[in-house]
Amino acid sequence: MATAVVARPVARPQARARDEEVLVWPDLVFVEFISALLFTVTLFILSVLINAPLLDQANADVTPNPSKAPWYLLNLQELLLHMNAAMAGIIIPTVWLIIMGAFPYFDRDTDGQGAWFATENAVKITIVSGIVGFVGTWLLILWDSGKIAFFLNDWFGLSGGDSLRFLENVRSMQSQLPWPEWASEITYLPFNLKILDGTGSGGPTTFQHLDFPGWLVEQGIPIAVLLGLPCLLIYTLWRMGWVVNRRDALLALFSGFIAAYGVLTLVGTAFRGQGQELVFPWELKVSEGIPGQEAGH
Amino acid sequence: MAVEAPAKPTLADKIYDKMFHNYVWKSIFRTGYPNTPRNQMLVVATNVFLHLHPTRIHRTHVKITHTYCLGGLSFFMFLGLTVTGILLMFYYVPSVERAYLDMQNITTTVQFGQLMRNMHRWMAHAMVILVFMHMMRVFYTGAYKPPREFNWVVGVILLVLTFLLSFTGYLLPWDQLAFWAITVGTNIAGSAPVLGPKTRFWMLGGFEVGADSLIRFYTLHVIGLPLLAAIFMAVHFWRIRRDGGLARPL
Repeated sequence: MATAVVARPVARPQARARDEEVLVWPDLVFVEFISALLFTVTLFILSVLINAPLLDQANADVTPNPSKAPWYLLNLQELLLHMNAAMAGIIIPTVWLIIMGAFPYFDRDTDGQGAWFATENAVKITIVSGIVGFVGTWLLILWDSGKIAFFLNDWFGLSGGDSLRFLENVRSMQSQLPWPEWASEITYLPFNLKILDGTGSGGPTTFQHLDFPGWLVEQGIPIAVLLGLPCLLIYTLWRMGWVVNRRDALLALFSGFIAAYGVLTLVGTAFRGQGQELVFPWELKVSEGIPGQEAGH
Repeated sequence: MAVEAPAKPTLADKIYDKMFHNYVWKSIFRTGYPNTPRNQMLVVATNVFLHLHPTRIHRTHVKITHTYCLGGLSFFMFLGLTVTGILLMFYYVPSVERAYLDMQNITTTVQFGQLMRNMHRWMAHAMVILVFMHMMRVFYTGAYKPPREFNWVVGVILLVLTFLLSFTGYLLPWDQLAFWAITVGTNIAGSAPVLGPKTRFWMLGGFEVGADSLIRFYTLHVIGLPLLAAIFMAVHFWRIRRDGGLARPL
């Protein structure tokens, strides 16, 4: 009895529709030429008008305040203010790049390709997710800076008193809640193998102590927020009947990411003043010098 | 019966003939302007610079609103950065003693030095933005879907390489902006679990930004990363053709 071997369908390049085709020369080459010319001229004019910055010579003894990474890394520098450094600086961007790289392996449907916003609700999903990402990221930043609590008190006289002080920002959960003594010294099984131990102290037999309030604030809550909010967004849109397939789910995720990424970059670039304090862009100034005796710049 | 005589060539015709039909010109451009469909396809297929393209393309793909030329412009920025970068390399020595002085010379005494430096910097920013927007275009047009999965992955790698190219170039002016931005940036890398401190040490060639960091960033910026990016770009462009050109609705 013959057994049919059914190969998994593998997407292949589409058949060409020759009667729908135009010639690359001149139709495409012309467009490319014009856009290249346009960019060359624009950048040329920009370069004549605005000089690239050149500050004083590098000096390891004079620290500018604030010191900032290049603008496209300021989103990570912004994240650093809110959570554990390894998570903000390395783990989150790495995981996100892997997730993004895996998009086409998750969404394997070939429908809706080659056209803008091809699924039925794509535009709605993109706009709503973008707004949620934008507003949500701003709210989280404002809350963690303590500004929301400050303004509630300043403008409306609303104050929860000491009992609600732990809600002011993330860190206040660590400092303002009555954590029992043992909570910051939870002994757990050792798994700090030599390779994981940067300092060289300890070893495979040492018991480790977990500072739970610290962990909660530095890692627990950020992880919950970063995983929970996108899931909540996609779930809500699914219950609303907007998200009906994997493509839609990715649209919500990606649009939310773009908005959050944009806000983080913007805040890190234009809204972080001395000591990484949240300020308005027009209040932003840089001072340099030995801490305590800076000269205005 | 009068036979119509061919019109006598005018002076303009003669000049045109002398300029474009002479021996040297024809040795470079074997054919004239391709004015028939057959010749237009041939010129794309046989010209070394144009043969990245197919000879014909689906008509929806030449509409500017389909791609906004973002991928092509990213590549164009890479080319422009190579040109301006090579010009800057003539005047710049990556040593702690000379780097900042050379920057000052480039911006004050070198002919068009300031212009080349400005072009290099603004093009670098433009490239980061264009690559990011290209990624958004590909996502929102669903162009990452099968059979283009792997090319999307290559694209993500190229995005990272673009960031790294820009980041390594950031240190070279050796001014306060450069020094502290790289200090902050490499501190971020240093916070990685397990390999963080080692990674930071490899990047900087020491525990803090110094002479060894400068030569490392310079070498990566002018040769290491551009070569790597060129390899991935070659794969990226090749795969576009192999996967059937730009995505279009089924």
